[in-house]
Amino acid sequence: MRKITDLASFNDAREAGLAKLLPPVPRIAIGMGTCGSGNGAEAVYHAFADAINHRGLSIQLARTGCFGFCAAEPLVNVWIPGKPLVILQRVQPNDVPAILDDVAAGRVPSELALCRIDEWDHITGHVKYGSGLTEIPLWNEVPFFKGQKKIVLRNCGLISPGDIEEYLAVGGYQALYKALIDGNPASIIESIKAAKLRGRGGAGFQTGSKWEFLRKAQADQKYIICNADEGDPGAYMNRNEIESDPHSLIEGMIIGGYVMNATEGIIYVRAEYPLAVHRLQTAIQQAEECGLLGDNILGRGFNFRLQMVEGAGAFVCGEETALIRSLEGKAGRPTPRPPYPAQSGLYGKPTNINNVETWYNVPPIVVKGPAWFTETGSPKSPGTKVFSLVGKVTNTGLVEMPLGTPLKTFVYDVGGGGTGGRAVKAMQTGGPSGGCIPHEMFDTPVDYESLAQIGSIMGSGGMVVMDEDNCMVDVARYFVEFTHSESCGKCIPCRVGLDKSLYYLNRITHGKGTDADLAVLDELSRMIRDTSLCGLGQTAPNPVLTTMRHFRHEFEDHIRASRCRAGVCEDLALSPCENSCPLHMNIPRFLQLLKEDRLEDAFVSVVMDNPLPASTGRVCQHPCDDRCRRTGIDESVNMREVHRHIADAIYPTERFDEMAARVAAMRKPPTGKKCAIVGAGPTGLACAFYLSILGHEVMVYDSNPDAGGMLRYALPDYRLPKSVLDREVELIRRAGVQFTFNVKVPGDISLNDLDAQYDAVFLAIGTWKESWIYLPGTELAGVIPALPFLEAVAKQQPVPLGRRVAVIGGGNAAVDSARTALRLGSEVKIIYRRERKDMPAIPEETEAAEAEGAEIVFLATPHRIVGSADGRVTAIEAVRTRLGEYDASGRRRPIPTDEIVRFNCDTVILAVGETVDLDFAKASGLKIKENGLIEVDRYTLETSRSKFYAGGDLITGASNVSNAMGYGKKAARNIDKRLMGVKRWCEVFPQLEYDQAAPAHPSDSRRHHVQEVEAEERARTFAEATLGLATVEAMEEACRCLRCDVRNGDH
Amino acid sequence: MSQKISIRIDGELIHANSDQSILEAAHAHGKFIPSLCHMKGLTAVGACRLCIVEVAGVGRLLPACTTPVQDGMSVTTQSDKLRRYRKITLELLFAERNHVCAVCVSNGHCELQDLAQKLGVTSIRFPYTYPKVPVDLTHKKFTLDQNRCILCTRCVRVCTEVEGAHVWDVAGRGVGSRMVCELNRSWGESRYCTSCGKCVQSCPTGALAEKGFAVEEMTKRTEPISRLTDLRGANV
Repeated sequence: MRKITDLASFNDAREAGLAKLLPPVPRIAIGMGTCGSGNGAEAVYHAFADAINHRGLSIQLARTGCFGFCAAEPLVNVWIPGKPLVILQRVQPNDVPAILDDVAAGRVPSELALCRIDEWDHITGHVKYGSGLTEIPLWNEVPFFKGQKKIVLRNCGLISPGDIEEYLAVGGYQALYKALIDGNPASIIESIKAAKLRGRGGAGFQTGSKWEFLRKAQADQKYIICNADEGDPGAYMNRNEIESDPHSLIEGMIIGGYVMNATEGIIYVRAEYPLAVHRLQTAIQQAEECGLLGDNILGRGFNFRLQMVEGAGAFVCGEETALIRSLEGKAGRPTPRPPYPAQSGLYGKPTNINNVETWYNVPPIVVKGPAWFTETGSPKSPGTKVFSLVGKVTNTGLVEMPLGTPLKTFVYDVGGGGTGGRAVKAMQTGGPSGGCIPHEMFDTPVDYESLAQIGSIMGSGGMVVMDEDNCMVDVARYFVEFTHSESCGKCIPCRVGLDKSLYYLNRITHGKGTDADLAVLDELSRMIRDTSLCGLGQTAPNPVLTTMRHFRHEFEDHIRASRCRAGVCEDLALSPCENSCPLHMNIPRFLQLLKEDRLEDAFVSVVMDNPLPASTGRVCQHPCDDRCRRTGIDESVNMREVHRHIADAIYPTERFDEMAARVAAMRKPPTGKKCAIVGAGPTGLACAFYLSILGHEVMVYDSNPDAGGMLRYALPDYRLPKSVLDREVELIRRAGVQFTFNVKVPGDISLNDLDAQYDAVFLAIGTWKESWIYLPGTELAGVIPALPFLEAVAKQQPVPLGRRVAVIGGGNAAVDSARTALRLGSEVKIIYRRERKDMPAIPEETEAAEAEGAEIVFLATPHRIVGSADGRVTAIEAVRTRLGEYDASGRRRPIPTDEIVRFNCDTVILAVGETVDLDFAKASGLKIKENGLIEVDRYTLETSRSKFYAGGDLITGASNVSNAMGYGKKAARNIDKRLMGVKRWCEVFPQLEYDQAAPAHPSDSRRHHVQEVEAEERARTFAEATLGLATVEAMEEACRCLRCDVRNGDH
Repeated sequence: MSQKISIRIDGELIHANSDQSILEAAHAHGKFIPSLCHMKGLTAVGACRLCIVEVAGVGRLLPACTTPVQDGMSVTTQSDKLRRYRKITLELLFAERNHVCAVCVSNGHCELQDLAQKLGVTSIRFPYTYPKVPVDLTHKKFTLDQNRCILCTRCVRVCTEVEGAHVWDVAGRGVGSRMVCELNRSWGESRYCTSCGKCVQSCPTGALAEKGFAVEEMTKRTEPISRLTDLRGANV
């Protein structure tokens, strides 16, 4: 390689590089960072090389770094002269022949195309690839890249990191050339200061000021250091930057050396980054050969040597004083500052340390000036920052965004939301030194100050997205375990304090924590933060402090209820399905019992866990499906339908009496305690059943003539035939529960009466009031609320329904109303303001409604109901909405447009949600919350009045059957504990022996879906629409279970 | 070079030299700031964090031993927060190793014990770690009992900076940190130990002791070492 000594030789090298970058023949470049190689890029490269060689094609093959979209690796750039550069995604070796066929024929392979690049701004240079191929989206039209601004990553994935000429071709070393020709180091410091470039390692100190310190320091020897000891779990920005574009770092450091008058530079890079080490070595060697490093650089008389040192793997060596000790050959332990490295650093000489990314920002600022730089980002923190977006997010990868971009843009726009459409719960920024930010705070802009304000830090740029499968206590524990093992041990707070923090966090995740532990943990964490010697200790408690601040309820759940909602803490959950079930049914047990052909035991298992197994088997929202680990293989086990099958195999048969007797025999001896339950809905029935089994005398009051509540009076017959419910109520009756119907509480019986007669009272009236929206026209005849409509149909009362019905809403009540109206012979339209995936209704129900002929209009908000002169509904008008920004729930907010749509109709059913009857809440004299719901203790369900408990929709607002029953079960447990003074709850459940081994070969059959009656047939009748699983199918489903509940040995 | 400056410590105006640390300035005026890793004559390392103080206008707590005084500085050495934090620090030390005063040669002459009494540490809220750590009795004159070590590194510094032998150092990291003799030799086989006993005299607890003493009998003197460094002018 020729030495570059003047402009002519500089330009020669540039031309040589451009000829490689834009050759006269097609160029195929494979993204071969560690991420690409890990996804098989090596094999792809060799497949290309072999095939090109074999076919004798005139194609240039190159290796580049990574373009950033890790989820779509391996990425392959294809460029045909005159056309745009096209990036192909997820290329596998067997795609190679087809790609080469296309390229050889002058076509761009478009099936795998991710995006195209017409021209690229390398900041220091500009490359025009070509035009056309408009059917492929431009790179910044792809959601993952939208809004990204590549300053640091300007060359990544486009040029070959192993070839200095390609770097020169895109304007590389121009900044250095300019700096040396201008010969005015002070002005460069002024530029850096004016650009307000801040340290990208996380602390955010002004780089310009730091440089000035070193420049002013008087010494015979000064050092500049690049900190490439990237060690945060989940962060790999620096690795990728070095792997993809090592020369930018070298150029930045030479400029720094020149400006600060230092002649020695050191890059301290993690030894765990072998590819980065290798590419950096090559780059340094090339730069030396070209005369860009060493003596008399570019013939301007400046000498600078750069060496690379591989770190030995201690996380704490990322702390600058520890890093310096490590470079000196000592143990990597931090020393107190002052003295600062700028005064006394490496070998006692003045030293400057900057993060990799800070150095990358230097050449662009030198070339383009500070004014250009401050155009991007926020006023206090200009420029961009590279983040590694990882975790439970659809699009993972390296994201370079302007500082000040809100978190939600990262998660939802760039990241595409949670994996598998799940709700995102939190984001962890800054690695072990950072904190967890709840999704409600995703409006927070990402910059140094804003994140610090909410207890986190930006850090070096790790972003880990978490969903409901992540336990925040476990997250805190994980990070403390990390910092605890990485603590150098020098200062007491960090050494011993983190050890004790870990002890408490372990205790809590094992379900052995106490409230006192939380208080000690809080005080200890603050002490560690405030008194530790270095950054590691000072920030190590951040994950604990932020999770305790934003997710305190999760800590309390672990401590007070021994529950880990995420199901991560193994000691607190039997299996993911059991953990997600509001009733905590032992699902693996009944599946196994069925598998062992012990139907009756399976029935006992099911019914003792859930006294309404046939009803819930039909209408439950089945949260278990989302958690089933079988989804990792194919689809979840159809648990809901299996327990429906088990229940259906008993209830309608002659075996019912025998089983009812077996259940009744489990009733404990009478305790002499009397309990009243108000409301015979699912919540009340569940509570009544368990209290009766526990030996108490239970009376259930209800204003309706029969038991079941919403199950009987709101759920249409085609979903839940009343004969099924009748049998279940009969079993509960035989378990000893008594009923008094047609009685209103308060009204016919006051709460004081109940207080006088009973030892405990459980209030479980549901949400019987339909929410009303106030639109022009809701007063018209023909506008009816959903619940009374469904109730009237259930009670077989006449309903005035028109020929064309419009249903407003997207919940289960809306879909039930629609399907009921269809069965009454009407045409039905459902109008919903958001998208399909946002509908709260069970997806199967929505699909069934559509199959039966209901039309769903999405993204439309009703704005008025049109009436005729005689006051009857004739039409409904809705405003079309478009999707706007993401709201706190992670759904995109509907924004009204100018377009108005009109549907002719003569009945409008309002199904926009149900609420508690406020009059009851007020009349009860119990403490109520602002939203009218009764206030209870989260863990015991006690109300403000002693003896009185409340549960279900009354405390949560409209929910669903299994949630409601979960509260009934919980109330029974707490009432019994209160009445008897001892914990007897576990004694209720039958001890059933069953096989405790994970299946060596779980059935490989696919999920069995429930059989449905043909849409046309079922839409005409109220007969049940689904037929359940056949016995063989149920058995096979049971055999699909992976038995996550089985523990190894010691459990 | 060093200038006379004025600072306030707990409100009281004090004259100090500009090359002093807050701790030195305080000690020079007979003011008490608790510390364990600090010893006059040795390089300050800021490891025990007991000497943390509040400085007006500074948002965070600073270790008095490594923070140089500045003209006009106003230092608070006692506050609720500082007392709480210092107590936690001491409790953490007690919980970390196996400090059983009743059987310790230094019982009654132990800086850790003294400080605990002074700061009112009467019980430990944290669970004891009860680590299994070695006792080295191989040296003919001295003993090392890691159960009583608080990793203040005074022995390391006195041996390196004053004796020039660098026999001692810390191995491992985090809670696994242990004192090691040379490259993990037993003390008796040390090649460089001069048996001068400076480490023993510097040790604030009973971790390093002379042989031949029973419970409560070991007393230590750091003043001769400090005087020596004063005379050498090595106090940097």
